[in-house]
Amino acid sequence: MTVTLQDDAITLTGACGVEEVENLVGYLERRQDLPVDLAGATSIHTALWQALMVFKPVVTGTPASSFTSGQVLPAFRAYLEESQE
Amino acid sequence: MDELIAQFAIEARELVQQASDDLLALEGNPTGRDRLEGAFRAIHTLKGSAALFEFGPMLRVLHRAEDLLSQARAGKILINANLLEPLLAVIAWIDDSIDGIAQAGLLPDAQERQAPRLLGLLSVETADHDADAVGDARTSIPDWATSLYQRFASSGNDETVVAIRYEPHAECFFSGDDPIATMARLPAIRHLSVSLKEPAPSPGAYDPFRSNLLIEAISAGSLAEVVAVFRLIPDQVKLEPISGPAGGAGPTAVSDNTSVRPSSIMRVDSARIDRLIEIAGELITAKNRLAPLVDDARNHGNGPLARQIAASHTDIERLVASLYSAVTQARMIPLEHTFRRFPRLVRETALKLGKTIDLVIEGETVEADREIVESLFEPLLHLIRNGLDHGIEAEADRVQQSKPARGHLVLRARQRGDQIEIEVADDGCGMDPQRAKATAIARGLVSESQAATLSEREILQLAFAPGFSTAAAVTDLSGRGVGLDVVQRSIQSLGGTVDLRSTVGSGTTFTLRLPISFSMTRLMVVEVGDERYGVPIADVIETQKLPMHAIQPVKAGRAFMLRNRTIPLLILSDLLHLPLPDATPGDLKVLIVKVGPDLIGIGVDAIAERAETLTRPLTGLLKGVSGIAGTTLLGDGKVLLVLNLEELIQ
Repeated sequence: MTVTLQDDAITLTGACGVEEVENLVGYLERRQDLPVDLAGATSIHTALWQALMVFKPVVTGTPASSFTSGQVLPAFRAYLEESQE
Repeated sequence: MDELIAQFAIEARELVQQASDDLLALEGNPTGRDRLEGAFRAIHTLKGSAALFEFGPMLRVLHRAEDLLSQARAGKILINANLLEPLLAVIAWIDDSIDGIAQAGLLPDAQERQAPRLLGLLSVETADHDADAVGDARTSIPDWATSLYQRFASSGNDETVVAIRYEPHAECFFSGDDPIATMARLPAIRHLSVSLKEPAPSPGAYDPFRSNLLIEAISAGSLAEVVAVFRLIPDQVKLEPISGPAGGAGPTAVSDNTSVRPSSIMRVDSARIDRLIEIAGELITAKNRLAPLVDDARNHGNGPLARQIAASHTDIERLVASLYSAVTQARMIPLEHTFRRFPRLVRETALKLGKTIDLVIEGETVEADREIVESLFEPLLHLIRNGLDHGIEAEADRVQQSKPARGHLVLRARQRGDQIEIEVADDGCGMDPQRAKATAIARGLVSESQAATLSEREILQLAFAPGFSTAAAVTDLSGRGVGLDVVQRSIQSLGGTVDLRSTVGSGTTFTLRLPISFSMTRLMVVEVGDERYGVPIADVIETQKLPMHAIQPVKAGRAFMLRNRTIPLLILSDLLHLPLPDATPGDLKVLIVKVGPDLIGIGVDAIAERAETLTRPLTGLLKGVSGIAGTTLLGDGKVLLVLNLEELIQ
């Protein structure tokens, strides 16, 4: 399992493929109070990012991939900011 | 302001030329991608320059033209006559405007009035071919790319980039796509944004397996690299190359090569180069004064000093000669500068005449002095129009004579030693020597008996005689009251010759031979009264001192005997209509010159020094003065008129 529900966070670890999106969506629906921790993720499928954009949880942690941390995460945060305005 | 306008005019002429070249090339080969890019670049740059000024509707016209080209680049509209005709009309319009703009700083009224027509032409285009793209085709760059670029450029970047808009297909996750992972493969990614196409679907409507994403990015990689990343999903991606604004207000669609590429070409005011040539010329004169010093030193018994001066003289001579040839070289430009103006003119003229003509240009890289290249435009234009109008037959006639329906006009240049040879050849009906003879007789250019002795070739040369050009031949094209005599005169004033060959039924060829540059000529300075004139030494066979009593009156003229030949004698002051000096000196100095097959003596008051100088053809008001070959500047800064004895005698 790469998407897991912890006590204090929903964590993504390792290579998170498209097949995990239902799990993630399930957790996001049930536990909107929990942040999502990306620190352990090595890759995150687009479908998962889309889920995060729909549910807009608090996202923590910096993934190891420079593209993910340098480009995708800022783009995601920028989207959250824009959609709140 | 004036300087800006002048700069605009210079640039605009070049860009108009560029666009015209490219559009004409596209007409021949609509798939020529680089020509399309070239035309687009030219129009785009022109638009940018025009935007700096208030040229009324010019900006709008250029904007529309640019739109069309941009759509053609995107493959949205076809490259055919419907597209090219209006664009060529725009180019011709701008070309016509430039002179007025250069003078007044404003779009001339005549051109302003034509603008609505051009806008009409251009918009018909859009409506016809591109009904669905009209909406977003208002600007050459789609809005999404512009706003994306602005977001990126606000961070202070101005490199050339590709804007990417990727809308993954809704079912893309099922086909195994991972759009963000695809983005990760992009080279040099500068900006990324992701958003939901339809914002915040209600939780019930949200399907995590369907993509509802819009991904935009800026990559500083090459277009080819970016295209390669999306090669499997081209239908879901839009790409737009954008060049850095380089100080401009907005993004530009393609890199402007001319401004980006470091150039080894420097634009120099030709007056500065002319000044260098003058100085080099003066240096030659100054150098010549060293020669007598050698003799002086020797006469004073100072042999070693004489040798030293002689050695320096040789060194300086060599250096001055190479300086002179280097600065002369700086004035050389390729004939292309003049030649490239013809394709469009030929096209327009042919259209007016209802003829179809292929213009073949060869040897445009041959170089010659700038003044020669630029002065060639008018005479060549005249010859070309002559060929189009009188030479090449109407299509139906050509077909009847089993000629190709399309007329063929060749403009060919070659370098031959220190001369250039330019041919203007058409494959038209040719000149009929019998008709030419009849015309020449009817116009009183030759008598019937004279004409009978002339060969066909000689008869054809009569076409260059003033007054030959017939009223019947005057049309609004080649007519204008200008005959071939004017062509010949202008070529001769450049130191060249024109020759005409023609075969009835298969065409006419004019051959122009011109010097490559105004080289140094050796002049003999002669005095008449208080005036001094230069005569090219090459024209003078010998000089004689003639006692007054040796001059014999012959009918109204005078003659003298030279080695048992009777030589007619003319007096230079008569030829120049100068007042006769009161006291006739004892001896007359006579220059023996050859005019045609005959020797003629020309009397002058005195023969002064010889000089090696650069003779420049007359310009401006003096241009039409016959008998004067040009002017030259002497070492003491005085201007000397150089005579054309042959013309003077006639």
